[in-house]
Amino acid sequence: MKRLMVLVGFVLMVATVLGSAPAPAAAQEPIKIGVIYGLGGSAAPYTKPAVTGHEMAVEEINGKGGVLGRKLQLVVRDDQSKPDVGVREARDLILKEKVNFLTGIIHSGVALAVSEVAKEYKTMLLVSIAKTAALTEDKGHRYAFRSASNTLIEGRAAAILMAQQPFKRFAVAGPDYEYGHRMGEDFVAHLKKLRPDAQVVVEAWPKFGERDFAPHFNALLQAKPDMVFSSIWGGDHIAFVKQAKPYGFFGKTQYLAIGQGDLDVAVPLGAEAPEGMWVSSNYTFYHPDSPANRDFVAKYKARTGDLPPSGAAFGYTATYFLAEAIRKAKTTDTEKVVDALEGLTVETVHGPLTMRAYDHQSNKGQYFGRLKKVPEHPFLIIGDLQYIGGEKTMRTLDEVKALRGQK
Amino acid sequence: MLDLGILGDPAFVAVQCLNGLTQAMFLFLIASGLTLIFGVLGVLNFAHGSLYMLGAYLSYTIASLFVGRPSAFWVALVLGSLGVALVGGLIEAVFLRPVYRRAELDQLLVTYALVLIIGDVVKFAWGPDNRSISRPAILAGSVLIGGRDFPTYNLVVIALGPLVAAALWLLLARTQFGRLIRAAASDREMVGVVGADVSRLFTGVFVLGAWLGGLGGGLAAPVGAIYPGMDVEVIAESFIVVVVGGMGSLTGTLLGSLIIGQLNAFGILFFPRFALLFVYVLMVVVLVVRPWGLLGKPHTR
Repeated sequence: MKRLMVLVGFVLMVATVLGSAPAPAAAQEPIKIGVIYGLGGSAAPYTKPAVTGHEMAVEEINGKGGVLGRKLQLVVRDDQSKPDVGVREARDLILKEKVNFLTGIIHSGVALAVSEVAKEYKTMLLVSIAKTAALTEDKGHRYAFRSASNTLIEGRAAAILMAQQPFKRFAVAGPDYEYGHRMGEDFVAHLKKLRPDAQVVVEAWPKFGERDFAPHFNALLQAKPDMVFSSIWGGDHIAFVKQAKPYGFFGKTQYLAIGQGDLDVAVPLGAEAPEGMWVSSNYTFYHPDSPANRDFVAKYKARTGDLPPSGAAFGYTATYFLAEAIRKAKTTDTEKVVDALEGLTVETVHGPLTMRAYDHQSNKGQYFGRLKKVPEHPFLIIGDLQYIGGEKTMRTLDEVKALRGQK
Repeated sequence: MLDLGILGDPAFVAVQCLNGLTQAMFLFLIASGLTLIFGVLGVLNFAHGSLYMLGAYLSYTIASLFVGRPSAFWVALVLGSLGVALVGGLIEAVFLRPVYRRAELDQLLVTYALVLIIGDVVKFAWGPDNRSISRPAILAGSVLIGGRDFPTYNLVVIALGPLVAAALWLLLARTQFGRLIRAAASDREMVGVVGADVSRLFTGVFVLGAWLGGLGGGLAAPVGAIYPGMDVEVIAESFIVVVVGGMGSLTGTLLGSLIIGQLNAFGILFFPRFALLFVYVLMVVVLVVRPWGLLGKPHTR
């Protein structure tokens, strides 16, 4: 019996640390960029296209002669969405692969952990996806940058949007880890400022990877909210929507799904996505209708046969930020490239984006709107789409300074 | 924390109870295969979650071949789970048969290797994207319970749980195959001595267990996302169910599923931020007070 208990313990332990095997990558000389992502599990629909996005940008840049006459080269590593693995891979990339820069990362916990490594080794890290505001706020430092939006920018933008609506009773739902809680807090704090009469009547914190959401949304409905603000994402969002629909959930309350206008969930949900659901999105192939975005969509389609999901835009954008910073610095020297990236404006698929000099946070905003059916696609796209730019909701410099001073 | 006045609302409590029951039946369908395999073969099949995942993916692929036809889901469910059963048979014959006489840790490592292999095969065959299939049209709607919508599909799942439990019980208690299985569970050498083909028996049990896992995956496919990594969550939950109910005991697994389903459903009303706590506390209490599980036998081996 004792042996059995040991076995059970072992199984449960392994179950919690299980991930996919690291993806090896070749390495040689040029300007080496270490790319770190959780490549398996629920992160994969974002991170596989993200790697493709990095690769597309690198091929375009190298096709035009590279940067400073040197080619860019990617070294991709799998952090298994675990902070300790991310730290190990980052150290290995810096010490063994001798990469010049680090980029990537989807998992907020990994981003914060690797950011400490970047600080320790004075290696520049440009986070491409992970959204916890802490990275560029209270935990920010000279070597950490982010080209993506963050929980505060997006949470506040959602609050601005919701404050304009007649909703008073709010529910807050999210996956039970750093990202979900941070997103909920950033939203609620700003909402209460804009609409003191708004109240949070119920919360739901299903674990990440939950299979059965029914007990959660039944409890949500019971509190009769006007609007459910939710950061449940990816496969969890798909499961939530599919399970909640036959309960009449979406007829009984409005629902704002942060980030879930992205193709990563819109395509698999197809026509099952509830029309009229509020969503935000990291990237859309249909807006902005700019030459840069059209060109990107065409290239991604030619390469993969698919429309580009948000991950691709994340990777592509980050790579261009990095390349432009090196070009501007005229060297790969970390200190000079850090200086060059501060305040740098780059033309991206989202339009021009600027890396704020003080906190190293880009002004990338998010796309908001309500899902609608269109004849040309088998999935729902975002109607009444509006882009709320990061500059509208980012913390002011004084706010960031105060946060950092508190440490 | 929620206002507990809602517990005075009978319709809400009824629906929440049914929600817990739905979850319980899913858990039972999946965990029954795990417990069956452990009870007879003595192997803790860590790859059971992978078989579940494979069931979901096979259902997805088969359903997309018959897309538009009302029978698509059912064909996918039957063929998908049978496909998983077949894979289970191969796994047993090729990977497990050589390690039965080895230490439990060796067996566990083999099944763990299978988790990695199947995980990579799935990623290679289906890619990293989320997939999803629809409920069959006939079950896509809902019925009114106390004035509240409850999905028809969930009712079917709730009905299927006891059906499968009864069928398994009949199989074990009333058939020659079942008698041999039970005999092998208590003394496999003896079964060999009396002339039964133990190795074929073991393959049969593993195939049955794998089929149950695949069936669980196929049934879960229309109410969730299908993605690489869905195996991990499910195996952890199944192990908790089996540990609570008693390793190797089918009735224990049923009981464990029912308790955990309701604990989840009502736990979140009290502590939305710590709902999982109840389940883990239950597991710890069971392990301390009754380490062989609620309905398990104290000295299996």
